[in-house]
Amino acid sequence: MSDSVSTSFLGRTLRRRSFLRVAGATAASSALVLAGCGDDTPTPVTNVVSITFANNDIGLLNYAYLLEQIEAAFYQKVVDSFPSDFTAEDKAAFIDLRDHEVIHREFLRYALNSNPYDINYSTPLVFNFSSFTLTTRAGVYAAARTLEDVGVAAYNGAGKLLTDPAYLKLLAKLASVEARHAAFVREQAQPGSFAASDVITATGPLAGLDTVKTPAEVAVLIAPFVPLPLVTDGLMLLS
Amino acid sequence: MDFLNLLARLATLDTEAPATAAPRRAALSRLGQAGTALLPALLAALPAPALAGTQETRTRLDVLKLALKLELLENEFYSRALGLTPGGPANPAAFFATTANQAAIQTIQSHEAQHVALFTRLITDAGSPLDAVPNFDFTGSKNGTQAALYPDVYTNLDTFLKVAQLLEDAGVRAYKGQAEFTQTDNYTLEAALRTHSTEARHAAHIRTMRRQRGANVKSWVSPSDTPITTAGTVPDAVYSSESNTTQYIVRNSVITKVPFDSTLPINVGTPPLSAAAILTKVAEAFDEPVEAATAETLLQLFTY
Repeated sequence: MSDSVSTSFLGRTLRRRSFLRVAGATAASSALVLAGCGDDTPTPVTNVVSITFANNDIGLLNYAYLLEQIEAAFYQKVVDSFPSDFTAEDKAAFIDLRDHEVIHREFLRYALNSNPYDINYSTPLVFNFSSFTLTTRAGVYAAARTLEDVGVAAYNGAGKLLTDPAYLKLLAKLASVEARHAAFVREQAQPGSFAASDVITATGPLAGLDTVKTPAEVAVLIAPFVPLPLVTDGLMLLS
Repeated sequence: MDFLNLLARLATLDTEAPATAAPRRAALSRLGQAGTALLPALLAALPAPALAGTQETRTRLDVLKLALKLELLENEFYSRALGLTPGGPANPAAFFATTANQAAIQTIQSHEAQHVALFTRLITDAGSPLDAVPNFDFTGSKNGTQAALYPDVYTNLDTFLKVAQLLEDAGVRAYKGQAEFTQTDNYTLEAALRTHSTEARHAAHIRTMRRQRGANVKSWVSPSDTPITTAGTVPDAVYSSESNTTQYIVRNSVITKVPFDSTLPINVGTPPLSAAAILTKVAEAFDEPVEAATAETLLQLFTY
């Protein structure tokens, strides 16, 4: 089954109109509407839409929400079809990982209340993991390592951008769990790598510190999984 | 009413117990049992001094000094085990049993030494003198002045790894509790958060090592872990309220309990988990902070 997705989920004008009102999301252009549709094709009103994060705490929570959506979708995909060389222990761990990320996702969606970026999407985004090899244990753990390390780096970068100390504390509660996940999957992918020098700075004044990435850096890394362009300009204005 | 301020304290609701906080804690704990419709009324009923008087207040320098104490403790704990400083096993290689075990502890120790250097620099740069470094006794006997909790910490690898897990899990909770007090300084905040996640990686791996040696423990803190501390002892504070399944957030200006136990669609397994089992996953999915006083109490156990 393909993970690719059309962007026709905003097919109805009314949907689009209400969607445009939602903080944290914009429709970038309708210039491509109907372009290329053949006569006998059902003709969805396809808007080119981006996910645009507002330059405030809500934008940052949406950013975290998207990251957790990606992770939850990834683990669900693995759980739906475990690699044949997965052990019982691997399976139990991945069910835990799936459950944690679903809990994080739903927690953030609830916290966002009326402001999740996708609140008016007619269908949820379908994330694309075709860049990973998910048919082998090694491939799955390597993929999980990539996603968890990005998550840790993203949370470490988001902290200083937050205004509300309560949100800082809440996201920190998630961030250390992601770091635990990262250490676990890294070790399974390659023994001895739970905190290796590709993630923990080895030299210089910041030696011993975990990875940190800006929203723009993270957007580049997660772009392959997300079927819409990500606009992090607003988040990059925060300090 | 300052909802954000209150929320910040609800976030640590179950992790602090200063004596003066008792009335507030009693009142706030009722919030967890009440339906959300009652919350505004309950909040209005809280006496204002109870809301204003007990929140932990910490300066950036306080945070840096606590961080340095924690890192000094951890660095010495691992350095002794590795034979880098006196007081550890007679034969570190034999003690660790495998080169993988020893290499992992070496990796962790090198990070702790780097954290010591970092926080030493930040304190010095802030113009503050450094506190005297205490003496350490990782048996918990305070140099023989009280019964040792971990008499075989450097002769029994399983005991050593239990203490390591205790220190790393405590470190994660302490940094989480202190981060907000560094919000005025991005450099310190980011350094604290990056240390926090490094400690979480360490904690997870120590747990993985213990599991590989037969312990019933997950790489993340779980209510299903076999406890490594005894209720009523100092180390038990490291896990007190860590298995909390209650989170609060502000929605529409109302402090609201997140409905993990009712309406949130989190029970997605096939077949679905029992109500208790999904709440176990909720507890695993959130690491909880501790206040500085709790971290200091643990530090006291291993220093004299």
